[in-house]
Amino acid sequence: MIAWYDTNIILIQSTFVGLLMALSLQVPIRFGVFSFAGIGCYGIGAYVAAIMTIRYEWPAAAAIGAGMLIAGVVGYLLALTVRRLGGLYLGMATIAFDLIVGVLAVNGGDLTGGPSGLFGALADVTTLHLVLISAVVIGLLAYSERGAIGRRVEAVREDPELAASMGIDVRRHRQAAFVISALLGACAGGLNVLLRTTIAPTDIGFSLVVLALTMIIVGGSRSWAGALIGAMIFTWLPGFLEFSGQWQKVIYGVIVALAAIWVPGGLLGMMTDAYRSWQRSRRDAGSGDGDRTPLGSRAEGTPA
Amino acid sequence: MHFGGVKAVDGLSIDLTEGSIFGVLGPNGSGKSTLLAALTRFVDLTAGSLHLDGEEYHRIPAATFARRGVARTFQTVRLLPGLTVEENVRLGADRIRGRGIRERGKGDDDVAEAIGRTGLRGLERHRPGELSYGAQRRVEIARAIVAKPRLLLLDEPTAGMNQSERQEISALLRELREEGLTQVLVEHDVQMMVDTCDHLFAMNFGKLIADGVPASVVREPAVREAYLGKRWSEHV
Repeated sequence: MIAWYDTNIILIQSTFVGLLMALSLQVPIRFGVFSFAGIGCYGIGAYVAAIMTIRYEWPAAAAIGAGMLIAGVVGYLLALTVRRLGGLYLGMATIAFDLIVGVLAVNGGDLTGGPSGLFGALADVTTLHLVLISAVVIGLLAYSERGAIGRRVEAVREDPELAASMGIDVRRHRQAAFVISALLGACAGGLNVLLRTTIAPTDIGFSLVVLALTMIIVGGSRSWAGALIGAMIFTWLPGFLEFSGQWQKVIYGVIVALAAIWVPGGLLGMMTDAYRSWQRSRRDAGSGDGDRTPLGSRAEGTPA
Repeated sequence: MHFGGVKAVDGLSIDLTEGSIFGVLGPNGSGKSTLLAALTRFVDLTAGSLHLDGEEYHRIPAATFARRGVARTFQTVRLLPGLTVEENVRLGADRIRGRGIRERGKGDDDVAEAIGRTGLRGLERHRPGELSYGAQRRVEIARAIVAKPRLLLLDEPTAGMNQSERQEISALLRELREEGLTQVLVEHDVQMMVDTCDHLFAMNFGKLIADGVPASVVREPAVREAYLGKRWSEHV
């Protein structure tokens, strides 16, 4: 077991970083906000943590916290800036934000290390820290998927006008989605740079948007569990596909395309659907003479 | 309310007194739904004002207004497909501000009561897609009444229901009136409007063409003409 851990430590750590990064895109999608700004905030978190560690020798928690704070403020300001945008236009605007962060990193001079980036961000971040942070994040997100908060988020995503008629402040929920996404992205970026000790503009490019989206599409976009499934698959899959050599990217593309076409809810959505239909069949089999009112029975007899 | 060059509702002035059911009658396109949308702040007024308890509210957001105790149903069913019937109804109960852990038990009672009153008992764990259209309509009504609103606006709540279901919904609305709930009801079923409402407003082309006691409003020549056309209204 220890030998397996030592051999695969990079992949294990990458799985948790990938999970946090995927969640930074999944959270806004759950709120019905088509934003990729979490990846730009990943870059902000990574660079701020690296700068604070290398230049000012801040401890890891403070360096990552500073990155999250700055990214959170940037996320909030971005939410205000793009408040009137939705759908594809919002997606494009937030991708532009990600690209701007990359451009700033390239042209940041000594502060960001320019095109070659920063080296030597040494800190005492371990796998245990990653596991604990991921567990806290998962706990909070799992809580937000249940009860009154879960229902409100569902309403804001599915039908903003209906949500407003229920007294839900849709604008504030959208802003919250941006800020949470920024915090998660920055946390992932900060952790990753302190684990790897280096950061360069090429590490925060458009390919991260594709990777995080791929994790969500294949894993499932409606719950943290989908992001976890996606992060596990796409962190470990390259190792299993090594035999395919140059065909690896083609196989990747085929998997994503198949998932998008045949399993639009992701693997998690497929499992949820299967569970619900099993529940329905059990309920139908057991519903002989329940305490239904006459209206209820009639409704049951004429399914839509 | 104007949409570009189209006047959807024009020159309308209505007073809603507490604890009564007001009906809004009119053919398709007469401005009934636009009136409800304006009353709930979903569309802005081009001119005029809205008052609740003497306080102007035509500038506050729809969500803020809803939190003041105003609930509505929509012309087309709008339920959340991923939630069960009970969760959809519970969404309506969530609006109650300041309901903390101590009052959650009361929230459960309210949800159970709303489900029972709308005849949905036994269907709590179903999802909207598994229900008939009439049952989906009742889930909307349950969601609207669960938070015990002060003002309830219903846009064609019995569309898709059969006669006995309509009568049961009519009885429920009258029961809610006895409990002091003010309601605005938009419907095409003239008989139901006469049986249910205390006061009727008849509209056509965005204007008020008659208002008063239901039985007399439906006999007004202008109302008959709006519904049946001039030629036919002279023969009935």
